[in-house]
Amino acid sequence: MTEHNEGTPESTKRKIFVLSGAALAVLLVGAAVGMLITLSVVRQASTPTAESVDVGFAQDMQVHHLQAVTMANWARDHTTDLSVKSLAFDIEQTQLGQIGAMSGWLDIWGQPEQSPEPGYMAWMAAGSHGHTTEASGGVRAMPGMATSQEIAKLRTLTGRELDVYFLQLMLRHHAGGLDMARYASENAATSQVRNLSEKILKGQANEIKVLESMLAERGAKPL
Amino acid sequence: MNRIAALVAVACVVLTGCTTAEQGKPVAAGTTTTKAPTKAPTSKKAVSREFVPTETTKDPTKKIDGVVAFDYKPGLHIDPTKRVAYDKAPPFGGAHDQAWAACMGVVYPKAVRTESIVHSLEHGAVWISYEPGLGEDEVKALAKRVDNKPYLLMSPYPGQDTPISLQSWGRQLKVDSADDERIDQFISATLRNKYLTPEPGASCDVLGPPHFDQDDPPPFDPTPPGADAVPVTGG
Repeated sequence: MTEHNEGTPESTKRKIFVLSGAALAVLLVGAAVGMLITLSVVRQASTPTAESVDVGFAQDMQVHHLQAVTMANWARDHTTDLSVKSLAFDIEQTQLGQIGAMSGWLDIWGQPEQSPEPGYMAWMAAGSHGHTTEASGGVRAMPGMATSQEIAKLRTLTGRELDVYFLQLMLRHHAGGLDMARYASENAATSQVRNLSEKILKGQANEIKVLESMLAERGAKPL
Repeated sequence: MNRIAALVAVACVVLTGCTTAEQGKPVAAGTTTTKAPTKAPTSKKAVSREFVPTETTKDPTKKIDGVVAFDYKPGLHIDPTKRVAYDKAPPFGGAHDQAWAACMGVVYPKAVRTESIVHSLEHGAVWISYEPGLGEDEVKALAKRVDNKPYLLMSPYPGQDTPISLQSWGRQLKVDSADDERIDQFISATLRNKYLTPEPGASCDVLGPPHFDQDDPPPFDPTPPGADAVPVTGG
């Protein structure tokens, strides 16, 4: 650039250098300030609202997880099979921890633990997964959820029957939660929800294989 | 000069990178599904969000007509052989059995030991009680709200002075009909309310026999608690 200005005195060169440096400094400071302003605005604007995917997922997945904890608690306390016991303990602890995370986010976002609406999954785009019905604002029961009667039946069983039914209910429960986790991992606005839902998606997909093989070992099939 | 140009280029890249990352856009790379709107389709909401607890409205029951509030001391336990001389019917706080009644959306067909249910309230549950003579349709309508819904339980309560009553820890609402819109408002305001519940995050799961058997729960005792009963403020 300077090659064509052989006649330029050293002082002018220096002046250009200093001026360029000053201009760059001003540019960087301005950009940094702008970035900070953007950050604060984006942070504020991104507090998820009651209808958002983030809030809906945190509320509904909590309810879904709570039932898994109920079933796992019961199995852990009543099975005589050590591998079922340790699996139940693993599921219970993992899901309780995740419930705590979701509960904490909802607290920070000023949203209730459970949606006050009667329907679940209204936060998932209507029709895209075949579960939601447009007008009703959600579904009455989430996929994979056991009915009260099924949970009551689990409480009546012992021995191998208890183990098999627990594995069957938990397999269906895990599989049922995958759509919600997938949807949130692709559509949630906050990175924390995207991350947890992705971990749930992968973790439960792996655990499904474990549940399937444990059922097969006991000569039983999925529900 | 070249060094400055490089610096400017790097700075621009860094800045652009930062701003993009802060947009909060989904990062699911490689997905081919069409991007769905982040908001669910707006539908007629059954319950106004007006009654959910928030940092600024910790006790939304203040906005509901007819709610009675009383400040009970939590954490007072009695053993299964004792009774508590409750000061309200149905009670909504005070000393209670060490074992809570299962409250993961449980519809109890018969009246249950009150001392167990009061413990469930301490864990953030809402208890819907009704006069044993309440019409079948109304019982069904209430049961539909409760069945399989975490932190809800329902049972008859002999001797209450309204057909239906709702209890959460320290709060009560008595109503005459299952259609009363305040029922959903009360549930929304108190269920797992982190400010009103003494033990947020506590469990509603069934303990199981011998502590609390959901399928054969300790029954309601219609006799007066007696002189040796534990006071509601503890023994």
